[in-house]
Amino acid sequence: MDSKERIDAACSFLLQSPPGEINDVLNDVRNIISDDDSLQEGVLPALREYNLAQFMAVDVPGTDHQSIVSEAARVLPSEDGAERFLDPRSQTSFLFDHLSLEASDPQAVDPNEDSEPFRSALDKATLQYLSAHFHDGVSSVFSRTESPNQFVIQVVANKYNPSNYWSGRWRSEYVVDLNEHKVDGKVLVNVHYYEQGNVQLATTHTVSITLPSAIVTSSPDTSTTKILALIESEEGKFQLILNDTYQDMGEKTFKGLRRALPLTRQKLDWDKVLGYKLGAEISSSKGVFGNS
Amino acid sequence: MADLVDSMLDLMRRLPPTRTEENVNALIGICPDYADDLLGSVDQPLQLKTDRSTGREYLACDYNRDGESHRSPWSNEYDPPLEDGTVPTPKLRKLEISANEAFDTYREMYYEGGVSSVYLWDLDDGGFAGVVLLKKVMTPASLHEPSGSWDSIHVFEAAERGRQAHYKLTSTVMLQLVTRNGSDAEDTQKKDVKGADSWKRNGEVNLSGSMTRQTEQDMALHDLSSHVTNTGRMIEDMEIKMRNLLQEVYFGKTRDVVYDLRSVDDLEKARKQRELQKELVGFIKR
Repeated sequence: MDSKERIDAACSFLLQSPPGEINDVLNDVRNIISDDDSLQEGVLPALREYNLAQFMAVDVPGTDHQSIVSEAARVLPSEDGAERFLDPRSQTSFLFDHLSLEASDPQAVDPNEDSEPFRSALDKATLQYLSAHFHDGVSSVFSRTESPNQFVIQVVANKYNPSNYWSGRWRSEYVVDLNEHKVDGKVLVNVHYYEQGNVQLATTHTVSITLPSAIVTSSPDTSTTKILALIESEEGKFQLILNDTYQDMGEKTFKGLRRALPLTRQKLDWDKVLGYKLGAEISSSKGVFGNS
Repeated sequence: MADLVDSMLDLMRRLPPTRTEENVNALIGICPDYADDLLGSVDQPLQLKTDRSTGREYLACDYNRDGESHRSPWSNEYDPPLEDGTVPTPKLRKLEISANEAFDTYREMYYEGGVSSVYLWDLDDGGFAGVVLLKKVMTPASLHEPSGSWDSIHVFEAAERGRQAHYKLTSTVMLQLVTRNGSDAEDTQKKDVKGADSWKRNGEVNLSGSMTRQTEQDMALHDLSSHVTNTGRMIEDMEIKMRNLLQEVYFGKTRDVVYDLRSVDDLEKARKQRELQKELVGFIKR
């Protein structure tokens, strides 16, 4: 492998990192590649891609809340070309260091006057929903600059417990489109449990909800509360479906692969298995246990 | 650089079990000198092959590989053919044949399908070692039926001590379960009832993992075939234990973490309930 291929492989490893384990993966990769200079430059794009895709939460300078760094949070590059991200709640843009995961250089941003009333109502309703259902959640609500009447709700909740060998991440994103009267959403959950093993849960759930016109034409406060009620119901339903899936996997799929015990409900009598097989060999008749 | 191998193993413990093969290949590409260390310590899904002379399926892994060829347990032949490929001594081959037959019965009883293979080889100290492989794949008949695969790899060493034998067993189970949910049909019905409001949802749940456990045991040795019944019992017990662990501990844990992230019940309501209860307790105490 040449140097570029090695960096590509390193990037692929980083992008597969389980929740909260990016530094552990990076540490392993540093040791394996053992070429810090080319690695540092080479993996920055992958770290950026990972942070944006995983809805990295960051402390916003000058505020006491966190905001989500994601594709939706990107603001058009300034004249110096540096990439900035927006925290719509505090109307602040900032620079983000993808390695240290810190924000810096906060700058005030003027909100769009037309969309801000609905956006901030949606933000408020999302925060209420967040405190009702998430233990450690962060949310951000963005107005789409390029298409008015479109808003993006993002939610991320992380739990890292390395001393007990598990970590988990919940991400949801909903695009609220007031022109088309619909909400398109997706929920992504990743869980890693690695005590003497490596077990991972990865789920994707997409939903498309048509909004009744009564919801769209109400005041921002009423309308956004109702939209979040729909999201609450959908996410609750998703968890019930997931629970059913676990049940099915345990009872049907798992059993279909390997039974807990044979049909006889007893462990094998190995002396018989061996004795019978030898007998079968001599008489070359068909085995009682099947086609062999 | 022993810690390089440690880093590779730590990495493999963190990356998704669904992509083990791809990631092992990438690691070998980066550090070709450590290919043997890596292949020897990271278990990968077993390859299915067909015996050319008997037409029967068998499992290929590092233990029945010689160069680029794999030996079939049914015909004892290498594919692609090898003139001087390593084969067990005649005595051990005899034991290998009866082990393959016994574990084929075991496979049918527990897996009701799938493929099994057993390979044995002599050790320098006079004992022998072996690997018992089992694999079953469930392919769904339709998109919304669950699919999955189970691979188990049991590597053992046997040392004869008079009328006893000492066994060391290392077992790995790799499991993957995929379920796709879609409720398009249900939606059409709902649409009829509720009119214009429609909900469309689709989803996939992928639960996969691998785990390794070790055990050692002394067992009675009556004759050579006792090795088959002894390892058979050990492997059966180990698989039962590991299947239980996967279902109860590992899957249960991942499900619990989802509830740690998001609560189905309204946490605010629960908080208010607790406050109310505290108030009442205070009231009664007064």
